Amino acid sequence: MTRLRLFLSVAIGAAFAADSALVAGEAMVIIPAGIYRPVTRAATDPESITVASFRLETVPVTNAEFLAFVTANPQWRRSRVSPLFADETYLRHWAGDLELGPLALPDAPVVNVSWFAARAYARMQHRRLPTLAEWELAAMAGYKTLIGRDEPDFNRDLYAWLVAPTPEVIPSVNTARATLHGARGLHGLVWEWVDDFDTAMVTGESRVDASRDQDLFCGGAAVASTDPSDYAGFMRQALRSSLKARQGTGSLGFRCAAELSTP
Amino acid sequence: MNSMLLRFAVTLLVAAPVLSATTPSCCHPPLAASAPLPVASLYQTEVDFTTDAEVPFRLAELRGQPVALVMFFASCGHACPATVVDLVRIREKLPADVRSSVRIVMVTFDVERDTPAALRAFRESRGIPSDWVLLHGSNDAVRELAALLGVKYKREADGMFAHSNMITILSRDGEITHQRFGLTGGLDEAAAALGAAAKAVGAES
Repeated sequence: MTRLRLFLSVAIGAAFAADSALVAGEAMVIIPAGIYRPVTRAATDPESITVASFRLETVPVTNAEFLAFVTANPQWRRSRVSPLFADETYLRHWAGDLELGPLALPDAPVVNVSWFAARAYARMQHRRLPTLAEWELAAMAGYKTLIGRDEPDFNRDLYAWLVAPTPEVIPSVNTARATLHGARGLHGLVWEWVDDFDTAMVTGESRVDASRDQDLFCGGAAVASTDPSDYAGFMRQALRSSLKARQGTGSLGFRCAAELSTP
Repeated sequence: MNSMLLRFAVTLLVAAPVLSATTPSCCHPPLAASAPLPVASLYQTEVDFTTDAEVPFRLAELRGQPVALVMFFASCGHACPATVVDLVRIREKLPADVRSSVRIVMVTFDVERDTPAALRAFRESRGIPSDWVLLHGSNDAVRELAALLGVKYKREADGMFAHSNMITILSRDGEITHQRFGLTGGLDEAAAALGAAAKAVGAES
């Protein structure tokens, strides 16, 4: 029994050592505590969510970083991933299993990753995906103030990006301008997965038309909007409610978060 | 080290009645003797749960047994008690010879309140049979399982949860073979699916 324990500790130690190389790569910023008011919410949802201070990666996870992940974890390679965790959209812009190719710049955000894959990556770094409220709180900041909506140049850049088509080749994470807390690319590069993206669907409109649906869900009520002027926030909510955990898109990436207290 | 060994031994003792016919769940041994999991097997998930006996648990430990699985929360007043009754009924519909081979698994999404101790209290107060598996998981684990099952849930302002009501039947290799949606009807179909999964076990083992 002792020998088994020893073996396990060695194995676990080795796993941590292998991970630390990856962890060191991605810098994080501290997002101060704040209050997030959901743009859409059900009558039973809280009006505002108090978010504790947390750490968020400065930029989205890049193709090069994700390549290192799939190299170290063969079960997440395009050719081997279980269809349970990723559909045919998975890494489809890469040239091969372990080859980025011309459509995937090494320092551009990785896209075409499923929610399961993003979470597996985060778990491997001893991190996690940010919650919707955390992500939105971080993304609320403008270039100079806590509320980007009130900054003309921030708004100009945000809406210029929202109306622009997704480029075939996503640009480097270095092209994104930092916002107040030091994070870059929360707007202007790609959309990003959040851990609880699917909570937007619980009270979806599909259950309104069929009375039979009433007992599919326990609780829930009609969705009401709180700030109709937050067009970008609405777009993100609409996008999230259309996502499936197995499916990526060519404009959807992710970044990891961690508790403030973790090293 | 002594205390660690002691804990290990205690874990084994506690685990024995709950996890019959499994290896110590602390160690997650690779299922070396078994064939590779089918591509659609939920048992490929790597997230960790804890039983109401405080024993670490991975879903892959259910391999080899037909499973009826639900997600719930202990303070749920309406849908979840009804689901417990339905699970009992589904089990009763099975032929007596396969009834004991099926595992019934309930996973809470109330990760804050439904601690293993709270689940133990739930088991006692509701008279949940000792061979049912009650699982607590991290937020990470619960979200992943819900996504795999297609269960939607959301914590509401009053601390209750809005959630899908769904009973999932898993083959002995962890593939979803049937899902019963809602709170009415569908018990015969669920029992048939569970019985079929049980028969497959009997035929191959």
